[in-house]
Amino acid sequence: MCDTCGCDHDHEIKDSKTIDVNQSLLKSNDEAAASNRKHFNEKGIYVVNLISSPGSGKTTLLEKTIEALKDSISIGVLEGDIETELDAERIRAKGVPAVQLTTGGACHLESALIHKGFHKLEHQLDGKKLDILFIENVGNLVCPSFFDLGEHIRVVLISVPEGHDKPIKYPKAIKTSQVMLITKTDLVEHFDFDIEKTKKDALALNPSIKILVTSAKTGEGLDKWFELLNDALTGK
Amino acid sequence: MHEVSIALGMVDELTRIASENNATKITLVKLKIGKLSGIVVDSLIFAFDAIKLEHPIMTSAEIIINEIPLIYECNDCNTKFETEDIYFPECTGCKSYNLTIVSGEEQHIENVEVEV
Ligand SMILES: Nc1nc2c(ncn2[C@@H]2O[C@H](COP(=O)(O)OP(=O)(O)O)[C@@H](O)[C@H]2O)c(=O)[nH]1
Ligand SMILES: [Mg+2]
Ligand SMILES: [Zn+2]
Repeated sequence: MCDTCGCDHDHEIKDSKTIDVNQSLLKSNDEAAASNRKHFNEKGIYVVNLISSPGSGKTTLLEKTIEALKDSISIGVLEGDIETELDAERIRAKGVPAVQLTTGGACHLESALIHKGFHKLEHQLDGKKLDILFIENVGNLVCPSFFDLGEHIRVVLISVPEGHDKPIKYPKAIKTSQVMLITKTDLVEHFDFDIEKTKKDALALNPSIKILVTSAKTGEGLDKWFELLNDALTGK
Repeated sequence: MHEVSIALGMVDELTRIASENNATKITLVKLKIGKLSGIVVDSLIFAFDAIKLEHPIMTSAEIIINEIPLIYECNDCNTKFETEDIYFPECTGCKSYNLTIVSGEEQHIENVEVEV
């Protein structure tokens, strides 16, 4: 029986209406990112989000960075991967606190997971203050560029073996990053990789991107990377 | 496949919007997706159609996509032009690369039709 008039069938008296929304599809992540950033700012922590294809040298770069800087600044790392604790173990072996964030299939990190991971990291810190937090994103050049994590800079790594067409194939990764590292330049003679073309393409996509040419193996360009981090920390 | 995550976030937002508006059913969701957004529209719809089945309020919701063209304005000669070139667009008036994007990066929920 229907409630409206007591007859024994349903009336179609439903009203339909259009609700104007006009908000980003990524609103929930963007809000969580803003909250992360506020939290990091309050604590005075500079946050770096590293993105690249799998194997471009993110963890190796972090190992070298820790070796060079850990005596002068306090470093923490959040390691994103689909599975395994391996990268966090590599970082902890260097004597720096690290939390592994396994996404269980997702190909990128999101802000809610960073929030949880950071609190987990704080337990390892025992009240010690961090100067810099590195986030190693899941190896993927597409999806991570959609998700703000609350970082201060996004750094994209393109390695020589991947080929110099990467910037134009993954424009969003270049456009949303502030720094690009061309990595593994010790291998350049073995590959058809045109460093100048890569730089030119990246700058055409993002005129303000800062480009460094590096090799974790020979140490080429790493001094510039450390300088960039030190400048950021001293607010230059 | 960031489209799955985006669809999950969208379902959360739709749930919130429906409850704020005392809606009993979501019938239509209109999205604005720019050509430069990097969102693969078919993947997004595919993901949404799978996820919506777990949410009674939106099991019959349809998605309509308003695809937004890529439009630039030239900083040198002020020409406004539409282009398909997502990598290295050049001004149709003076061939300059010094351009400002006018539209094409949208990734928005425009509006939602509900029953109340
Ligand atoms: N030749 C060379 N190999 C490197 C360099 N940096 C990293 N690798 C190697 O590249 C592989 C992947 O590096 P890894 O840091 O794990 O990459 P990730 O997946 O981005 O974290 C490892 O075998 C590294 O030893 C480099 O500068 N030169
Ligand atoms: Mg790694
Ligand atoms: Zn022009």
